[in-house]
Amino acid sequence: MIRPLGSAAYRIAFTYSAAFGLAVMLLGAIVYVAADADFRRQQDIGLAVEARDLAAGYREKGLADLVEAIRVREQPSATNGYGYALFGRTGWRVAGALRTQRPAAGLGTITFIDPREGPDVARALATDLPGGYRLVVAQDTEDVERFDRTMLSLFGMAFGLIVLLGVGAALLLGSYLRRRLGRLSAPARAIVGGDLDRRMPVGAGHDEFDQLALALNAMLDRIAQLLENLRQVSSDVAHDLRTPLARLRGQLEAALEGPCESAAYRAGLERALAQSDDLLGLFAAILRISEIEGGAVKRTFARVDMTDLVIDLCDSFAPAIADGGRTLACDVASGLALNGDRELIAQALVNLLDNAQHHTPPGTRITVAAVGETASVRLTVADDGPGVAPPDRERITRRFVRLDSSRGAPGHGLGLNLVVAVAHVHGGAVAIDDNRPGLRVTMILPRLPK
Amino acid sequence: MRVLLAEDDADTAGFIDRALRELGHVVTHAATGDEALRLGNAETFDVIVLDRMMPVIDGIEVLKCWRAAGVATPVLMLTALGGIADRVSGLDAGADDYLVKPFAFAELAARLAALRRRPPISDVVTRVEVGDIALDALKRQVWRAGREIHLQPREFALLELLMRHAGKVVTRTMFLEQVWDFHFDPQTNIVETHLSRLRSKLKGDDEASDPIETLRGIGYRMRA
Repeated sequence: MIRPLGSAAYRIAFTYSAAFGLAVMLLGAIVYVAADADFRRQQDIGLAVEARDLAAGYREKGLADLVEAIRVREQPSATNGYGYALFGRTGWRVAGALRTQRPAAGLGTITFIDPREGPDVARALATDLPGGYRLVVAQDTEDVERFDRTMLSLFGMAFGLIVLLGVGAALLLGSYLRRRLGRLSAPARAIVGGDLDRRMPVGAGHDEFDQLALALNAMLDRIAQLLENLRQVSSDVAHDLRTPLARLRGQLEAALEGPCESAAYRAGLERALAQSDDLLGLFAAILRISEIEGGAVKRTFARVDMTDLVIDLCDSFAPAIADGGRTLACDVASGLALNGDRELIAQALVNLLDNAQHHTPPGTRITVAAVGETASVRLTVADDGPGVAPPDRERITRRFVRLDSSRGAPGHGLGLNLVVAVAHVHGGAVAIDDNRPGLRVTMILPRLPK
Repeated sequence: MRVLLAEDDADTAGFIDRALRELGHVVTHAATGDEALRLGNAETFDVIVLDRMMPVIDGIEVLKCWRAAGVATPVLMLTALGGIADRVSGLDAGADDYLVKPFAFAELAARLAALRRRPPISDVVTRVEVGDIALDALKRQVWRAGREIHLQPREFALLELLMRHAGKVVTRTMFLEQVWDFHFDPQTNIVETHLSRLRSKLKGDDEASDPIETLRGIGYRMRA
């Protein structure tokens, strides 16, 4: 059982309902103050109207009429609840049952003796009349106080209800949040426990939690892909390095068998050195590919002028290819650029050019073409050599795959794999087609606008 | 020349130390980063070989301290980290060259010779003369015995590198790095092909006048 205050979900829900309760309390206080002031103002207006009525009657009909009017209004049947007192010039009471001292003229609060309750407080208006009389009209403040009490208790009840509802809602919301988050933490714990294929459940609602689950799943997929990549590299290293290591060992063993300082001994050591260089080259290639597949190289991507790069490589390679008895022809469109790593693209293209030489007979015509499309650059290296049979075309991009026909050629079976890795890290793809006759490899890379 | 060798691996250090002494260099060895830092600050060397991963203080940090303290000695950084980002961070820290382990000793020796007392203005000198060959880096023109020789851009770059290091060995990987900016090894022999074309243009009809020596398994050298 989680302590509610230890849970962020509950804390959020409780804070929310506390804020709501506070808002209700503030609202209640404002309404209370405003209503109380209004009620008292109404009372003052009532007193003024009553006093004006009586004063008007006095001016019109005289003192006797006023005394009579006060008597009538003080009848127990009267419902207005006013008390009256009429004082003469020297302070003696002329009429009215209100037992109080002669107050100062104007509005004020007076103390009177209630026949039932004893001394009490009332709101009073004292009006001076011609002839030195002072008319007092008063109303008990008990009504206002009763109204205030009613209002306070109503608000108190409403506040209690809202706090109760708020706490209930907070508990519900808290448990809902905990349940939704719990659905994410259970698979996470399973993944920690070794079940790497587990994924976060995604609801049909596409709400924030589902979005989070989708993002987490995408992250897990990426991590799984990197792990798979790492696992692949480790197993490649374990399996495919055995052969060259065995060859190296064989060379050294054979050299040791002969007499020291002999020509064969020296030649054996030189071959062993060449073998170890070859092995180091293989290591470098594997590490380079896994570095590319890791994607960290993307951080240093910059604008690469492809037109410039391809022309440059063609100029560099054409003489060597010509010396090998093949020809290289280049057709490069102008204004091609992309966001990437210049050296990696160069290395991919160099690998394709190396392949086009090592797997074809002399006399082969090799062509390099770079063309721009709306959103991509198509970089093609084609030859009119023996080509690759359709079932093998997909296979040759995998690591360490070497076709039987190319066993005698140099290389480790990693060249095309690097080309594919370079294309992928640039957000592109590689297509391998029949050049009729020969092989055509195309790198399709996202292009930068001119 | 005086070489500071900062390398923590005893076998590697021993092998480099012996080989450098055989070439006649004076070698001071530091096995930890702080020792290397202290020696580099206190003494004057012609060149420093600095292993990237050193105990106590990392090689990169040592190099940054030297550069911050105004130690301008050329530094060749040795490393087992061959990634693209590793190379960039090494050069950013102030290394003059970067060599990935393992390496052939001839490669290390050639690079150290190339770094030694490299005059800071050498890249700005636009006219270089070696023997009867003259090269104008600005006009991209080459003359041999007063007669102009027309070279392709790559051939020109190869010759410029050889002439700026005249009398010293330039290895195949140095050509690949400095002329092509390749930090990988293509199977196609582009260095050999361009060099052989450069040589035949320089020689003209006189087969005996080749100014470039081939040192088998090591590299090439311009006769000074």
